[in-house]
Parts: sequence; structure tokens; C-alpha cells
Amino acid sequence: MESHWLSLFDVSIDFGQSNLFFPRIVTWILVVLLGVILLTRYRHVVPGIKNAGRVLAGRSGEFDRKRFFGTIVLTTIYFYMMGELSDVFPNTGYSFLICSIVFVLALSLLYIDHFSRRLLLIVVLNALIAPTLAWYVLAQLFRITLP
Amino acid sequence: MDILSHLTPMFFGLIAAGTLVGIIFGAIPGMTATMAVAVCLPLTYAFGLENGVALLLGLYVGGISGGMVPAVLLNIPGTPSSITTTFDGYPMAQRGEGERALKTGIVASIFGGLFSAAVLFFFAPILADFAIKFSNVEKFLIILLALTVIASLCSNLLMGIFSGVLGVWLSLIGTYSIMDGGNGETRLMFDWMEYYLIDGFSLLPVLIGIFGLTTVLLDAEKSFKNDSNQGRISLKNGKKFSFTVFKGQFINLVRSSSIGTFVGMLPGVGGSAASVLAYSQEKNFSRDSSQMGKGAPQGIVSSEASNNALTGGALVPLLSLGIPGDSTTAILIGAFTLQGIQVGPLFIGNNMDTWYLIIIGLLAANLLMFAIMYLAIKPIAKVIEVPKYILYPLIIMMCVVGAYAINYGIMFDVWTLLLFGIFGWVAHKIGLETVPLIIGFILGKSAEIYFVKSLESYGNFSIFFTKSPIAMMLWVLIAMSLAFAIYVNIRNRRHASMQS
Repeated sequence: MESHWLSLFDVSIDFGQSNLFFPRIVTWILVVLLGVILLTRYRHVVPGIKNAGRVLAGRSGEFDRKRFFGTIVLTTIYFYMMGELSDVFPNTGYSFLICSIVFVLALSLLYIDHFSRRLLLIVVLNALIAPTLAWYVLAQLFRITLP
Repeated sequence: MDILSHLTPMFFGLIAAGTLVGIIFGAIPGMTATMAVAVCLPLTYAFGLENGVALLLGLYVGGISGGMVPAVLLNIPGTPSSITTTFDGYPMAQRGEGERALKTGIVASIFGGLFSAAVLFFFAPILADFAIKFSNVEKFLIILLALTVIASLCSNLLMGIFSGVLGVWLSLIGTYSIMDGGNGETRLMFDWMEYYLIDGFSLLPVLIGIFGLTTVLLDAEKSFKNDSNQGRISLKNGKKFSFTVFKGQFINLVRSSSIGTFVGMLPGVGGSAASVLAYSQEKNFSRDSSQMGKGAPQGIVSSEASNNALTGGALVPLLSLGIPGDSTTAILIGAFTLQGIQVGPLFIGNNMDTWYLIIIGLLAANLLMFAIMYLAIKPIAKVIEVPKYILYPLIIMMCVVGAYAINYGIMFDVWTLLLFGIFGWVAHKIGLETVPLIIGFILGKSAEIYFVKSLESYGNFSIFFTKSPIAMMLWVLIAMSLAFAIYVNIRNRRHASMQS
């Protein structure tokens, strides 16, 4: 009797499809959990999405759009240019060095509240010294692969 | 003794450097020990395993300890685990006893750190010996238990479970490796993605993105002021520190260190839970807790002893079971993999030299943390003034190095960092829990291997319940952790409704 009952849980895994066996189970669990979350929290979901849209559009809440989107845009350009320049200077780390100097300077300027000559000097020096130091220590001394 | 050949000035120098950098990271509000380890990870690529681990352990211990500096001087916890240090540290600093508060915290920290290192040394090998006997069924259930415990301690159980399962799902993207008994086919992606994702997402770019870039994005949106440390209190020479402050604090030290070590062993629970638990226990059990919250050194003792005890505790499941105890040890697992070391039940037995070096490294990191912070607390306190317009660009730059160098120069890993940095921000906004997500990501592939191999061997789902008494006991623990979470949820709701 007992073995008959347990045979309900028998399973055989087709080797050709075994790459999908566990992911399918996990995907179904995810879908069910998402369904339960939406069902139990539906009162919060729609207003939450609307509020998020308003905040991102800068119509409500304290959200520094300039710094937030500026960080994402500058980082994306930084990564893209680094990839492009690494074809020009392969295996030297120069692409990292050049792009990092420009990126550190640009992001620092984005984050500054009030400009002054002294602050600008600090930011420029930091943008020149820190990436150069990082490039020298990592690429030249430690021989770490850099773009 | 081969081990002595590794105990070089370089080994201790790296621990000292790591500890100092870790303290600096911990001392800057918003920076954490996890971030310190993530950002400095590329440096370990140049070192061997021993020296790399020395640097990382220093960063870990220093990062946790440094969190007390802004907690005392700014009333802002530098790391989540120093939240309770603010309760008594800041009032003491307001009275002109900032240096006394910090030095009390430093002594408590070293006690907690050494206590947990001793527990790690004696307990991890026993746990590993026990775990060696586990079959694939028990190994899968251990992972399930780890994920359940993490999820059950999240603020929302459902979101915690969802986050953990999502982490597992993300880890399955790529090829089902033949090396792991798979058929070498890809899954969970479109054909055009195969070029990039044939091996799935690399662990470290994902971690660096979520713990590095996400932190920067979360702060960038808040419109942080660069003179945000205006409320800082200077280290006045008020009442001097003396070791007599620890008179009658031995039980507090031992209890808080025990709590910290135990909580550290629970996967993903985090330092804030340890320090809050230790603080509340001291409040409940001490003879006189009337001054706690108003500037009592005993509050700092309980908070700092417990959060530093996390370090050794979190290494216990990592080194004996291969399950990270917190987000920082999650990155350490990546560093070990990078050096070709597989952590798990066989780790200690097969790598005795490395094991002893980790213990020596942990002890040395705690002693150096004590020396650095005790002797140089005044200059370290100035670190909190480093402006974020200097710091954040450099952090992103170092994140790039870490992500790019991990697989010896693959630009897709850098894009992974950006992708998961933004994903981490979105996850934070919609209430996903980062820690279960990461632990799920780390353990997902192993879970699949153990799950599928168990079913291939036994051909029946019931084997997960009937394999052995250990399997049944693990199910009881899973059920208990879920029941605990539901109980806490209901109690909190009642409490909230009564208050409203």
C-alpha cells in the first residue's frame, strides 16, 4: 500500500532535457510567488507604480534626477568608451586610464553643490592623480588586466 | 611547518593595510565592510591565496569596526551593525566623552572578534566533519534551510522567499555544465545571448554591482549635501577612558559576543540583528540598565562586542558548509573561487595550512584593528569628512577594475556590473531583499546539482523527506523557521494595530 502511495512521487529525468528540469520548477515557484504577492498586495501595487512614475518624472518626492540619471548616463558612457578605446590601445590599460580621468572629473563635478576655485582644483587633481595611481599600481606593478 | 613560510612581513603588512582601509570604509557613513571587500578585491588578483585572504580578512574586520566612529560622532551608524552604538555613543560624545566612547567600543570589539575567532577555530572543523557525511539530499536541504532562514528573518517573509528564489533563477542562466553532470545545453536565455551568457553571470560583477554601484545610486538620488557632517561632534578631552569602565562588564562581553557569533552563523541575518539582540539582552538582564540609551558604556560594550563577533561567526558556515554567513562572506566565497579553492565540508581537511592561516589572519586582524584604532582614533575620526564627490567616482572606478579583471578582461562583466547595479536599485525600491537574493544566486547552481542528482539516484520526490533522520530534522528546522517568521509577522501586525 505504502509503496503504491509513494509511487505518485516517482520521477524520471530525460537527460536530453535535464538542463530545463530544475529551472522549470524554479520558474513555476517564482510565478506562483509573484501571483501571491500581487494578490496580497494589490492595493499597494498600482498606487506604488503611479507614485514611482511621478517621482522619476520629478513631479513629487525628493529625488535628485540630475545626479541619479547623470550617474547612470556618465557610467554608461564611461563603460562604452572604455570598450571602444581598448581596441585602440589593447592590453596597455591606457583606455582605462584615459576614460577614468574624464569620468572621475565629470562625476565629481556632477556631485558638487557649490563651485569654488579651490574645490575645482581639488577635483581636477583627484581626477588626475587617483586614476593614474590606480593604473600604475594595478596594471604596471601588479600586472592586473585593465581595459 | 609549511605554514610558517607564509607568515611573512607581507602577510601581516597586508592584514594591517586591509584593516586600515576597512576602518576607513566603515567610518564613512554609507560605506560598508562589504563594499570595502568588493572594491579592494582586484588587488587580491595579484597575490596568492594566503596573501589575498590576509588582505580580505583585514578589510572585513576593519570594515565592521570602523562603523562605530560615525555612530559615536555623528549619530549615524557607519555600518548597519553599529546601529545600537549610536544609542549610547552619541550621548557620550555630546557630553564630551567621544574618545572614551570610541575606546570603550574598540576594547569591546577586540573581545568580540577574538571570542568569535576561537569559536570558529573549535567549531568549524566539527561542523565540517559532520557535513562530510551528507548525501546530495541533505546538501540540498541545507541550502533550502539556509534560504528559508534568511527569508524568514526579512521584514516581509513573502518578499524574502521571492528574492531568494529569484536569486536561484538568475544563477541558473547559462549552460548546465557537463562537469556538474549536466547535458551541456543552455537555458533561460535567447539564442543571441549565448555568446555573452554561455557561462551565466559571473558572481563577482553581480556582487560588486549590487553592493557597490547600487549604494552610489541610492545616495545620488537623495541629493546628498557635501557638508553633511556639520552635526559632527569633535573628540573633546572630557572624561578620560580607563579600563575600569569594563568593571562588571564581563558577563555582558561574553553574552554579547556569544549572541554575535551565533547570529553570524545564521546565513544572511546581518549585523544589525546581532547588535540589537545583544543590546536588548543587556537591557533586560543587567542589574542597572536605567542609563542605557542616555550614554552608558555598557550599551556600547554590548553593541560592539556583538557586531565584531559576527566576523568569526559568519566564517563558520562559509568554511564548513560553503554557505556564506553574510554579504561580506558572500564576496569572500568569490575570492576563494578565484584562487581555485572550493569552500565546503572538505575545505578544512584538504587545506589545513590555509585554514590555520585564516585563523591567524583573523586574530592578527583583530589585534591590528585594536592597535590602529586605539592609537590613531583622532586622525581616523577625520575620515568621516571625506566628501562624496571625491569618494564615489573612485568607488565606481575600482568596481570596474574588479569586474573587468575577474575573467582576465571581459567587457561583458563590466556591463554586468552596471546591469546589476541598476537592478539592485530597482530591487531596493520595490522591496526585494538583497541578502536572500545574493545567497540564492550563490547557492542556486549547487542546489540544482544536489536536487537533480538526488532524483536521478532515487527516482522519487519523497526521498527528500525519508532519506535519513538528518533530512527529517532539517525539515523540522525549515518548518520552525517559517513558523517563527509567521509568528513574528502576526505579532508585529497586532502591535501596529494596537498602536494605531
